[in-house]
Amino acid sequence: MSADLRGTFEPSLTDPMKPMRTNRWPMLLLAVGLLAACGGNETQQDALQVDDGQGDATRTERVRKTKNIFFNIPSPMETAALLKKAGAEYNGKILNDVKNVNRYTSSTAQALNLGIYGADLSYTSVFNQTQESMLYTACAQNLAKRLNVSHAFDQSTVDRMERNRNDRDSLLSIISETYWDVDAYLKDNERENLSGLMIAGGWIEGLYIATQVTLTNDSPELRQRIAEQKLSLGDLVGLMGTYPGDETSIAKVKADLEALNKLFTDVTVESSGESTITQEEGMTVVGGAVAMASLSDAQLVAIRDKAAQVRNTYIN
Amino acid sequence: MRNVRYMLLNVLLTGTFLLLATMSQAQCRSFAKNKCVPELAPFKFNETFNAAQLAAGEEAEVNLTFYSGQQYRVLVCAHPILGEVNWKLVDTNNKIIFESLAPEPKPHFDLKASSTTQMKVIVWVPEKEKTDMVHVGCVAIMVGFKE
Repeated sequence: MSADLRGTFEPSLTDPMKPMRTNRWPMLLLAVGLLAACGGNETQQDALQVDDGQGDATRTERVRKTKNIFFNIPSPMETAALLKKAGAEYNGKILNDVKNVNRYTSSTAQALNLGIYGADLSYTSVFNQTQESMLYTACAQNLAKRLNVSHAFDQSTVDRMERNRNDRDSLLSIISETYWDVDAYLKDNERENLSGLMIAGGWIEGLYIATQVTLTNDSPELRQRIAEQKLSLGDLVGLMGTYPGDETSIAKVKADLEALNKLFTDVTVESSGESTITQEEGMTVVGGAVAMASLSDAQLVAIRDKAAQVRNTYIN
Repeated sequence: MRNVRYMLLNVLLTGTFLLLATMSQAQCRSFAKNKCVPELAPFKFNETFNAAQLAAGEEAEVNLTFYSGQQYRVLVCAHPILGEVNWKLVDTNNKIIFESLAPEPKPHFDLKASSTTQMKVIVWVPEKEKTDMVHVGCVAIMVGFKE
């Protein structure tokens, strides 16, 4: 809830000697109804009356409490694009079998595998595997429907993707937009836990794909990209930490991520020095003097095995 | 009877607040999708939604990972009701990489990462002269990347 809503309305509740009278209720209900009817796509904002009596101290306290901190997890699309740029070759055999889609009956399994199929969809699309992309679209839509998120991923979305199947850029845009819509729909409907599971499932699948590709197509660039996942894993652990830990499914995923995080402990990714800023062909270049992140053979094997073990428990 | 009414009123008001909060967040997403995402072009939206309803004096921050060799656009998009907002991009040592202040706003910053690094975007809404009205508006922090 917005702190401003709390801050604004609290004064009217602090005096129980002045409860609203019954004859005001229809007005209140009407106001609520009108506000609800104004939802839609309009970008209306709130302008709220503040009680002067609150004082600066209260305001400072409210401001202090409402610092918003977000965790930005790289999307499956971004991860797939990084893999391609690192020289990875496409390997459809490592993806989750589309026949598995009907296995997922619990909302936890459905959310995790919506993320997993979403990552597979991004991977097939970035590597321009049109036929496979359509199959993974169908799987993702199937799970979205069963999670009651079909509002954000309906037949019209599938039709748009079908119409643009040969236009890679348009297809990637539609997938990105759909991922956003599904995530937003879950969050807007107080199902943030499922959103977290979907994001975690997608991230795990991205790591699984990257590490499996090294079995046939190992390169320093690919190892670098896998090593760098240490940073996004830290953010993902932070994000999952914002959900209540008493829920079994969330606790299980948190434990899996923590176990993976331990394997990244000795991986050096970032420079501790100050960033440098230079200009290169009109573009600002930001970075520090840091050796390329890399993984030893032992680190790679440990991360690959753990990623496979975690991912396989999610898809089976 | 008065107690029952008071309890019912509390329940109704709590429900109203929850409804308003949900609606506000939905409107914030709608604002970000319709007004902010297009400003990322020609960069591809990274699909992550970071937005909050802020009022004057409030602050939001997002940790971001930038991968070496990649080009990015960092965009801060605020609803006009808030006026211009301040924002900065800082590295892990809090060195300012980029700053946009309300008097001279710059809505986005394009960069190329020469090494993989984490940085933080901090957005804060300037305090205004004392007024009876608190304007609450959506602020979205978005990132686009080039393939």
